[in-house]
Amino acid sequence: MSDPTVTPKIVAALADYLKRDPKTIRPDLHLRDDLGLDSMAVIELLYKIEETFDLQIPDQDLVSLSTVGAVAKYVDQRLAPAKRTAGDARRLPAKGKKKN
Amino acid sequence: MSGQIVVTGLGVISPIGIGVSEFWKAALDGRSGVSAIEGFDPFPMDGYRSKVAGQIHGFAPERYLDSVQAERVDRYAQFALVAAKEALADSGLQMAKENPRRIGVIVGAGMGGMVMGEREITQLYQSQRPHRVHPNFIPVITLNSASGIVAMAHGAKGPNYTISTACSSSAHALGQAMQCIREGRADVVITVGADASITPLVFAGFCSLRALSTKYNDQPERASRPFDRSRDGFVMGEGAGALVLESSAHAKKRKARIYAEVAGYAATSEAYHMVIPREDGEEIAVTMRLAMADAGIATSQIDYINAHATSTSIGDAVEAKAIRQVFRSRADKIAVSATKSLIGHTLGAAGAIGGVATVLGIHTGQIHPTANFEEPDPACDLRGLSASVQERNVKAALLNAFGFGSNNAAVVIKRYAS
Repeated sequence: MSDPTVTPKIVAALADYLKRDPKTIRPDLHLRDDLGLDSMAVIELLYKIEETFDLQIPDQDLVSLSTVGAVAKYVDQRLAPAKRTAGDARRLPAKGKKKN
Repeated sequence: MSGQIVVTGLGVISPIGIGVSEFWKAALDGRSGVSAIEGFDPFPMDGYRSKVAGQIHGFAPERYLDSVQAERVDRYAQFALVAAKEALADSGLQMAKENPRRIGVIVGAGMGGMVMGEREITQLYQSQRPHRVHPNFIPVITLNSASGIVAMAHGAKGPNYTISTACSSSAHALGQAMQCIREGRADVVITVGADASITPLVFAGFCSLRALSTKYNDQPERASRPFDRSRDGFVMGEGAGALVLESSAHAKKRKARIYAEVAGYAATSEAYHMVIPREDGEEIAVTMRLAMADAGIATSQIDYINAHATSTSIGDAVEAKAIRQVFRSRADKIAVSATKSLIGHTLGAAGAIGGVATVLGIHTGQIHPTANFEEPDPACDLRGLSASVQERNVKAALLNAFGFGSNNAAVVIKRYAS
């Protein structure tokens, strides 16, 4: 079961960053190709999302975050760790990894 | 115009050695100076994505400098003083015999006095006692504190300034020093690059930019791997490099040993993006071409490139693409090395330390290894890279450096022939 507030929050963050109507930001849109975000803009967006959802997103996970929907799905999974599948758990490094 | 501009003295302080001989020996061994950061007391490293850096451990400024002088400047300026002192001694220049107004100092620094800067800002916010801000705070954090203190240490009264263009600062300093002598404004320019900003805030900032390597936190010595397929970001470093540049006429008059000639320089802006290079490499290619034109040499004459190569995924690929664009099939015959593979990215010091490595490559005929170059990346189509020393008869070399703010620099350094 996913959290229904995740996608609207991400869309709101994007709409605010891009100064455009949230209604025009659909889950299938590609951050770079459709919304015109360069790599720095994606990093700024994720910085905002980390704050909104109290998350730390490791660098390795950035590659998979290509569309609005992919970001929403990722955040949703991170917020509900107990519901992760084994595959997802492997893909998502633990938050706050211990000092080495 | 003032004939040729030559290098007569070298100095380095780096994570792999204090002093040129220690640095060069470690460089030829391909030894990495990157290690785990022990912590930013009182900050634990847990909150940092990257946990490794090229730090100079156990640096005791009083071993190299007058204690009063050392205490009044920040760590980066202490590094600048140490490197400049070595370079001047190496050059054999005796200030007492020189006209001080003909000796300039040009320093490249990207971040400046961040150690004191961060400390004072933190204390002010915590204590809310403005009258307790240290009286030396402003002179220390002002970005020309190093160029000022180096001039004071040696009585150099000629042109004195600092160039701050982020990661390319001291490559521009080298180029500007060459131009300063070329234009007849000085006989000698002590050229320095220095930075020491592996500090809680700056390091956190680079982590947030997601520019740093995070995959090798458990294997620090493997983290800086320019052009390697498994690279994942740069590693912060700290240090300083210094080169004494002078007119060949002046050097000959005092019978100085000449290491090499600084023959050409170009500075450009991509006018594109604060932190991302243009992916087609066109602007970098133009910069290299302009530097060669300034030196009056053809692409067929370049034997070695000391690459900017920070170990980021995009940066290294773009530089490789630009090299291929300029040199075409000849690119395969050019030796390429990345000094940052050994010491990390020393930001404002990188151009000068790379410059020292380039000069030594020409002078000794040995190109230092690119550490951790294990598996070539198809996106970096260069054959001249090696994890071992390359013996080359280098007649002309390019030193590349690119900086945030969309700026590029290229310097041509040649074997000296009178």
